Amino acid sequence: MVVNSLELAVPLILAALGGLLTERAGVLNIGLEGMILIGAFGGIVGANATGSLAVGFIAGAALGLALSAIMSVACIELKANIFIAGLATNLLAAGIVPYLSEILYGTKGVVKLRAAAGIPHLFQLGAPFYLTLVVTAGVWVLIYRTPFGLRLRAAGEAPEALEARGAPAGRYQRIAVLLSGVLAGAAGAEVSIRLGVYLPNISAGRGWIALVAIFLGYRHPVGVVLAALFFALFEGLAGSAQGFISIPGTVLVGLPYLVTVVAMVIYSAVRRGRRV
Amino acid sequence: MHSGIGSASRGRVWSGVIAISVALAVTVILLTAGSSTPGAALRAFFVTPLVNRYYVGNMLSSMGNLLVAGLGIVIAFRAGLYNLGGEGQIYVAALFGTLAGLAVPQAPGPVGAIVVVLAATATGALLAGLSGALRHLFRTPELITSFLLSAALIPIVDYLITGPFNDPDRNLLATRTLPEQFWLPRLLLPSELSLALPVALGLAVVVFLVLFRTVAGYELRLFGLNDEFARYAGLHTGGHTIGALAVSGGLHGLCGALMVLGTYHAAISGFTGGLGWNAIAVALIARLHPLAAIASALVFSYLEAGAKAAMLHTDFTFELGTIIQAVIFFFVTARLVFRRRR
Repeated sequence: MVVNSLELAVPLILAALGGLLTERAGVLNIGLEGMILIGAFGGIVGANATGSLAVGFIAGAALGLALSAIMSVACIELKANIFIAGLATNLLAAGIVPYLSEILYGTKGVVKLRAAAGIPHLFQLGAPFYLTLVVTAGVWVLIYRTPFGLRLRAAGEAPEALEARGAPAGRYQRIAVLLSGVLAGAAGAEVSIRLGVYLPNISAGRGWIALVAIFLGYRHPVGVVLAALFFALFEGLAGSAQGFISIPGTVLVGLPYLVTVVAMVIYSAVRRGRRV
Repeated sequence: MHSGIGSASRGRVWSGVIAISVALAVTVILLTAGSSTPGAALRAFFVTPLVNRYYVGNMLSSMGNLLVAGLGIVIAFRAGLYNLGGEGQIYVAALFGTLAGLAVPQAPGPVGAIVVVLAATATGALLAGLSGALRHLFRTPELITSFLLSAALIPIVDYLITGPFNDPDRNLLATRTLPEQFWLPRLLLPSELSLALPVALGLAVVVFLVLFRTVAGYELRLFGLNDEFARYAGLHTGGHTIGALAVSGGLHGLCGALMVLGTYHAAISGFTGGLGWNAIAVALIARLHPLAAIASALVFSYLEAGAKAAMLHTDFTFELGTIIQAVIFFFVTARLVFRRRR
């Protein structure tokens, strides 16, 4: 149960840390969902092409990066509205993956993982879990202990001050968006490689859950990880409850969204109550 | 958080045209590269939607639906509020409207139709209004709650339509059919075009008059440009947040009612098919102007019909519609021309 939840938390943590970087730079990244989706596809493609799961993760991250590059051009170079560009990112992933899948595998639907070797485990937890811990520490150091992190936060909080010192906020926002693409792409690869298959809509709202986890975690890496763990614990519970309670499968699809919106409302109500 | 799309999409006269042009260019490339008979695919995309009254009528019918939902987005975005739950609002409202209509099978036609419209509009208004209330009470971003509520409800409606409310007599994932006297008259048989289109056109004029010729519309636009300023000016911002989103949701609900009364005569599983997202594209291409939305709804329904025709008539089987949407979204709010020096 605990092990299961920790594993389920991995993609949420990775995507939420990516989203945290852009959020601190002043870009609320709605496109995470699409980056996870394309990363999930990339994970299977990379692993099947080379037989190496590591390459799968790298391919997922690379496709996430490519998608985030398109988003960053739209919202930073072309000054498009960031929310609309985020929607575009999600739609592009949903449209382009079936296109690529048809070309590569002759199917728009399910693509199975063929790689034989498994993920190396330590104390029942796979390597991605430990890598995620490293990434969490890395993101913390990046945000709070580097000059880059300082400018990143300035880009989000006081872009005028940053520009006055001759550093355009867009530069830091662009890097943040690209990093979020790498992390969300890797998150997607983790999901598809763990399940051993790519399915349409495999991202299943994880990008939005990650987005809410950023707020619930008070925009701090450690808080974000805890919030992601909370959602993963719930996902694990819902998964095992399916055995006892007869909830129609279609309704279960909506459950994560419902839990996420309730958590978001409670969070903002509590926060509001404290401030007033 | 409040980056004000109400002001963001003004003054970009050409961005809508450029967005559509790029989308067309991408379409041509994909059709040429992705089909073994590019000529036929291109002809299917560009010509088929216009080839006879059946196709033209269906295109105009979906234009009407797009326009009503698009007007819902115009209202929300003009007020600086992001309603990203349109898809769910249309779908849930269509189901509740249909159920309300089925509950009064003996009602005379106009009465029954009004019951469906009121039930659906109220459903949409409540759903989006809830996001407005949450924003007003707790400052929960309506962008996130509207999307998540919609995403949570869509599978539940799927379940209700295919399960408890499924029509056992039809081999279709749909509710029972509404009594025939409720149906809106068809205007261009054999196509689906119904009285819903003139209703939609009338609504565009009404929304235009409300936004630009009434005090409430002026306040709403002021609120959208700058909610801090609106608060200083003594406007009740809570009322505008909840009100604008409720009207936006109500229009989405009305769109659901018109789809049921005019086109499908029942709630069908998955029949909104991305309409909520297309409505956002329509509103943005129109730069949030209700009358311009008429033109952009027409253009968008043409693109949509073309994408459908290309998939039906050739071996091109890709999600062309989704890719077109994505390209339009990337470019429609971009500052592509007249990048002024500061």
